[in-house]
Amino acid sequence: MSISLSKGGNISLSKTDPSLKNVIVGLGWDARPTDGADFDLDASAFMVKDDGKVRSDSDFIFYNQTKSTCGSVEHTGDNRTGAGDGDDESVIVLLDKVPTDIQRLVFTVTIHEAELRKQNFGQVSQAFVRIVNKDTGVEVTRFDLSEDASIETAMIFGEIYRHSGEWKFRAVGQGYAGGLTALARQYGINV
Amino acid sequence: MPVLNANSLLLSKGRRLPLTDIFANYQVAARFQIGLSITGLSETVDFACFGLDAQQKLSDDRYMTFFNQPQTPCGAVSLAATAGDPAGFCCQLDKLPTRIDRLVFTAAIDGNGTMRQMQAGYLRLLLADTEMARFSFNGGDFADEKALMVGELYRKDGAWRFNAIGQGFNGGLAALVRHFGAEVTEEQAKPKPVENKVSLSKITLEKRGDKISLDKPKTANGYGRIVCNLNWSTYTPQKKSFFGGQTAGQPIDLDLGCLYELSDGTKHVVQALGNCFGDYGNLPYIHLAGDDRSGEVAEGEFLYINGSHFDRIRRICIYAFIYEGAVSWTQADAVVTVAVPGHPVIEVRLDSQGKNSNMCAIAMLENSQGALKLTKLNEYFSGHEKLDNHYQWGMKWRSGRK
Repeated sequence: MSISLSKGGNISLSKTDPSLKNVIVGLGWDARPTDGADFDLDASAFMVKDDGKVRSDSDFIFYNQTKSTCGSVEHTGDNRTGAGDGDDESVIVLLDKVPTDIQRLVFTVTIHEAELRKQNFGQVSQAFVRIVNKDTGVEVTRFDLSEDASIETAMIFGEIYRHSGEWKFRAVGQGYAGGLTALARQYGINV
Repeated sequence: MPVLNANSLLLSKGRRLPLTDIFANYQVAARFQIGLSITGLSETVDFACFGLDAQQKLSDDRYMTFFNQPQTPCGAVSLAATAGDPAGFCCQLDKLPTRIDRLVFTAAIDGNGTMRQMQAGYLRLLLADTEMARFSFNGGDFADEKALMVGELYRKDGAWRFNAIGQGFNGGLAALVRHFGAEVTEEQAKPKPVENKVSLSKITLEKRGDKISLDKPKTANGYGRIVCNLNWSTYTPQKKSFFGGQTAGQPIDLDLGCLYELSDGTKHVVQALGNCFGDYGNLPYIHLAGDDRSGEVAEGEFLYINGSHFDRIRRICIYAFIYEGAVSWTQADAVVTVAVPGHPVIEVRLDSQGKNSNMCAIAMLENSQGALKLTKLNEYFSGHEKLDNHYQWGMKWRSGRK
């Protein structure tokens, strides 16, 4: 049973699902049925220290850098149209392999060239982002992007963070304008 | 007159929100209005409301509300423009059956224009003649769309929400209707192949001279798309050499064509020989789709007659001829079907022993004071000129090859 988190809510992953070792952050949406530029949503992950910044640019996992050097975070590939069922893009996290100096893993969803294409989440059908236990296939939580962030083009979905020796998840659900570039700068990436 | 409301909510494209955010204290029994406008186009814009099921399909076409069908059977949606709006609908959502999951408000250009050419447009929501929310757009928001889904009301978690869609289709109303999963009978629609299997509803004209008169069309769409199909069930599927000579065997190449005479007296031919394929959307409103030279296309050859413009046609003589290959008609075992939308398929089987006659007049379509009259001919001739003479068409002929 998936727990529906409201903005700002947090759960202990370790307590909610003690078997949780490997996490899938799944992003899905429907391909555009109408005429016009495709909807291209991108899932990304930022591995940040306790100061909220990355150690280096290699801690930014996205469509052009699909695996972290430590191997704990992996982006499974860029889907540019939303064609196909289920998750269209996903980021896999192996929690046991996350380096100890990484305090938080921040997951974001952005629309590629949203400004140029004049797009936002509300124009996309069935857009969602969710957390799934990779080993059991059980969904832990999800956001409905189309409904919850309709006029936004970027969203910080949530973060998995260390707290007193366990992993917790916080549902941030904060929408932004400015796209992936603005988000990357916020976490200390040189773009 | 609508009351101006400075607090009217401005909705941008893509915005989704609960109806209760638009109408304070909204109850599903409340009646509210949707107002629609698109200005600056020289063509007419037709507005409609599609009531879709949970699969987002128009499973019940009585739930398409437009000028020919001004309200849904339940009365939940009716055409009613508020003063100041070129078009509009009145909605009372509690009357809607639960199987209707969403109401999509659409705009379609009836003509050659595109949405980028519009000056401005809006969809607004009004309660008691007071505007409560408005989604505005202009030509810069669009490209070559000819039909738009402007906005929609939809059920979500037990409540109604609104979405400012502002997306559309370059293919116009036909593409829009197809998106909603409905059958399209108008001219842009893809041809629906005539079914080859024997159907009990078919009418077979057995005897030469049998006639069928189809009633005068009641709709503006005339007789719709009239589909003539020539198919032959036995053939030797071998290709012709590059220069048209025969390779081994005797492949059969049957051609479908017609002589036509328009109401203005114009006479001509539609057939593959001479590359006279006609035109469906313009005169002569008859179109031969492709040329099946080998019999490899399972559906055979198609001739389309645009029944929406049947008033421009005086008569059409449909014929089949053996371009090369078939020794006799019985060997070709050809069947011609004529399908007029909404009427049983008419089938003519070419089973006569017409030796040494490569041409067979199949059927005559005549405009008899607006009614379409179909007569089986089944007469064999040795060529176009003989056929022409027989039916007194009066054209000049010379031989050719394709």
